Amino acid sequence: MKDILRLLLPLLAWLASFSAIYGLHGIGCGLCWPEISYQDVSLVRFALLSAWFAAIFMQVALLFALHMDRFKAVSVFMQWTSIATGWVGLVAVFWTLYPVAVIAACGTYG
Amino acid sequence: MTALRRHRKLTAIWASEPGWKGWTSSVNHSDLGRMFLVTAFFFFLVGGILAMLIRAQLATPHSAFVDAGAFAQFFTMHGTIMMFLFAIPTFEGLAIYLLPKMLGTRDLAFPRLTAYGYWCYAFGGSMLLIALVLGIAPDGGWFMYPPLTGPLHSPGINTDFWLIGITFVEISAICAAVELTVSILKYRAPGMSLDKMPIFAWYALVTALMILTGFPPLILGSVLLEVERAFGWPFFQADLGGDSLLWQHLFWLFGHPEVYIIFLPAAGVISTIIPVMARTTLLGYGWIVASAVALAFLSFGLWVHHMFTTGIPLMGLAFFSAASTLVAVPTGVQVFAWIGTLWKGRPELHLPMLHILGFFFTFVIGGLTGVMVAVVPFDWQAHDTAFITAHLHYVLFGGFVFPILAGIYYWLPLFTGRKRFFRLGEMAFGLIFVGFHGTFLAMHWVGLMGQRRRIETHDAETGWGVINLISSISSFVMAIGLAMVLVDVLIHAFVAVPGGRNPWKAGTLEWASMSPPPAYNFASLPHVVSRDPFHADPGLPNRLAKGEGYLGDPKASRRETLTVDIATGRPDFMVIYPGNTRLPIVMAAVTGLFFVSILLKLFWLTPLALAGVAALALVWVWRLGAQVDAGPQDAGRGANLPLAGETTKSPGWWGSIFLLAANGTFFGSLLFGYAFLWTVAPGWPPAEWLTPSLAELGIGIAAALSAALAIRFAIRSNCRSARPMTGLVAAFGATVIAILTFAMLLSRVPPPDGHAYAATLCVLCAYALAHALLVSLMLSFAIARILRGYTSAARAAELHIVSLWTDYLAAITILSLLAAHLPGMLA
Ligand code: HEM
Ligand SMILES: [Cu+2]
Repeated sequence: MKDILRLLLPLLAWLASFSAIYGLHGIGCGLCWPEISYQDVSLVRFALLSAWFAAIFMQVALLFALHMDRFKAVSVFMQWTSIATGWVGLVAVFWTLYPVAVIAACGTYG
Repeated sequence: MTALRRHRKLTAIWASEPGWKGWTSSVNHSDLGRMFLVTAFFFFLVGGILAMLIRAQLATPHSAFVDAGAFAQFFTMHGTIMMFLFAIPTFEGLAIYLLPKMLGTRDLAFPRLTAYGYWCYAFGGSMLLIALVLGIAPDGGWFMYPPLTGPLHSPGINTDFWLIGITFVEISAICAAVELTVSILKYRAPGMSLDKMPIFAWYALVTALMILTGFPPLILGSVLLEVERAFGWPFFQADLGGDSLLWQHLFWLFGHPEVYIIFLPAAGVISTIIPVMARTTLLGYGWIVASAVALAFLSFGLWVHHMFTTGIPLMGLAFFSAASTLVAVPTGVQVFAWIGTLWKGRPELHLPMLHILGFFFTFVIGGLTGVMVAVVPFDWQAHDTAFITAHLHYVLFGGFVFPILAGIYYWLPLFTGRKRFFRLGEMAFGLIFVGFHGTFLAMHWVGLMGQRRRIETHDAETGWGVINLISSISSFVMAIGLAMVLVDVLIHAFVAVPGGRNPWKAGTLEWASMSPPPAYNFASLPHVVSRDPFHADPGLPNRLAKGEGYLGDPKASRRETLTVDIATGRPDFMVIYPGNTRLPIVMAAVTGLFFVSILLKLFWLTPLALAGVAALALVWVWRLGAQVDAGPQDAGRGANLPLAGETTKSPGWWGSIFLLAANGTFFGSLLFGYAFLWTVAPGWPPAEWLTPSLAELGIGIAAALSAALAIRFAIRSNCRSARPMTGLVAAFGATVIAILTFAMLLSRVPPPDGHAYAATLCVLCAYALAHALLVSLMLSFAIARILRGYTSAARAAELHIVSLWTDYLAAITILSLLAAHLPGMLA
């Protein structure tokens, strides 16, 4: 079971950060954060960007952990595949959350 | 013992009852897998006939073949049948039939559950068929968008058939998914570590996990919509605080992953067949596993691309458009691995290979049009035109039907033990291929010219006439091809000449027993040392038949198999299966009674049916277990293994884990719906919040937590051979308090038909209340088992299962009480 978890963890983390950032965007827009800004960077943008960096950091940390003797899988196959999904998680966080962190705005809907 | 005597003895132990009795009482995975497949292809036939009717109607402008009402039923039922009654059950059937054989074991983890799942599928599907025959079939399109399908716009019973029938069928999908997950993780031949599993098992594992997390949102959506229709609780009505977009989210949260739930098993078939046809091994096994897992996950981040035109915020568009392009990467990895495998080997063009070529060609085009519609501006153009219908058929037919046909032809010699002698299959492939592309290339074209999907007629002036005619004629060519496949398979099953073992010279274990395989699959279980055990050791079948593997010594009428450690494949426990029984079909029938009572609004029957299900479930579990410690058993080859009941992590424990994962997704979707309505739906906040009560909150949480603690205490004392009774009774008492809390809360909620807030809250409380009742039932069961001597320090498996459910109860109690009280406190 631990091996299966190793395989799934980076992607679970991606799903979690995606939901979190989505929620953060909703909260930010709901609480009028776009109006609060410092030197042209609004609070929503700041919050979203930091959340995005945090998510990337988490994926990098996971990737390191999967390499470390303490956490890595015993079988070579599992070591290898879990590191592969680790990379997928990193790329996914970077690529799919990039537009959200960088260009998302508060819509008029809702 | 000679091989023949062993065969006779094992057959006596494992065989199903003869004749029609065997159909209803069999719990054997080979029987049930075949039943699943036959039923699924029957539905494919029905769905295909509906498609023909659709195409006949669209063939000419102003056609008066059917009226608009019937046409709506046709396309709705066609989509519904193909997605829910054909594609998913075909995967289930194939996996149920093949997996134990490929994994080198004798049956799936929970044989009676397999049977229960089959009967739920058969009964639920029959409900939809009955509706179709009576002319009262669902007509709101296969994705059933409210408000069209709500009580105001679809008052009749049509929509209820969909909501109830499909939920019934989904139960079977959840059963199969739990079963397949546990089987793949635990029920393998000794030595088969995760990296030695046949690739199909990996795909099946990923698919099963996706079903567990993908289907609950749809089940929730169906329940909510049905409750709205039956009792007028407004989840999807904007004027009363609901939002019809919530349905779209729940539906596509299921609907997009569903596409991959359909595609991944097909990819598993392809990955299995290609290396055999190319006489080599699969290139990049690890890459493929990683990309299948990645695909499964990424697909959950895509659902909103079906909602690009609903006016969702820009951020949604950006995220989901990016995710949609990303998902092409793991798909590409798999395609390259397949091409590489063909490159590296010496491919032979047998019939299965033809279908695989058909797959490549079609699926790649489907993928390209998929990238087109993932681009938001294009999607705004093409949305709800025939272009989309054409794209989805390229993906579904290319990505599922072609691979499955390849699979059918590949495993047919195993199913029947015969070999083909006509060339009917090759001709059939030609017709299907030409017919398919004729039908759907044309539909891309009219779609771009502006023909909407789901219209029952078109004008001559539009200039779509000729193209539609070409499309319809081609679809009939395809139909003839598919009919020829059917004839070919029937000939094969009944009149073809007997063939030898392993005609394709494959390396996986399903070919290592006889063809067709006996009820027990393997006379003794192999010790696996390679990914292609049959190639590594061609003498394996004989040695297994001679009983040189594990469990080669059949013991008096016990159906035995063994489980292994998940990662390493070291044997860990011996399992004794229950025998043939009619309990599953009876239980499925009573479950059906529950659904029928809601469908026909016979609400007096509903509690009776529920009580019936509970009573049968008690009988079901009571029959398992033993009243004495059996100690380690001789499993052959020097292995001494304890029984699966004499451990803390029994198969039932594993089953509970995955069932709870699905259950948790359901609950999570419910919380999501609550938050969604709150933040997005117009008409919030409601007129009044629930009056918060610190006492209620505190007592409820304390009760649920103490129940979970008390069980732990009981387990601790049981482990030290002391009486676990005190702990269990305390847990029971605490659970009763939790029940009372929720009953109390439910009585205080504002009237649920007034506002979506109150309606959601009621569902939340009812869900928690139901779980509290369930746990109290489980605790009473555990107490009764102890009184009857079914529990000892070693035989503690059941206590651990109850403990899991009590923990789950504690979690949902805390969350739902907070969700109920916090808004009032903050306001
Ligand atoms: C056997 C050959 C098939 C033919 C000739 C065919 C034909 C059609 C046609 C003409 C439509 C469009 C109805 C409209 O625009 O109003 C349609 C819709 C659809 N088909 Fe098929 N189909 C076939 C196989 C399949 C398969 C194998 C699947 C899935 C596994 C499938 C799933 C669907 C779905 C989901 C829809 C959408 C229904 C809706 O809009 O509500 N079809 N099909
Ligand atoms: Cu999609």
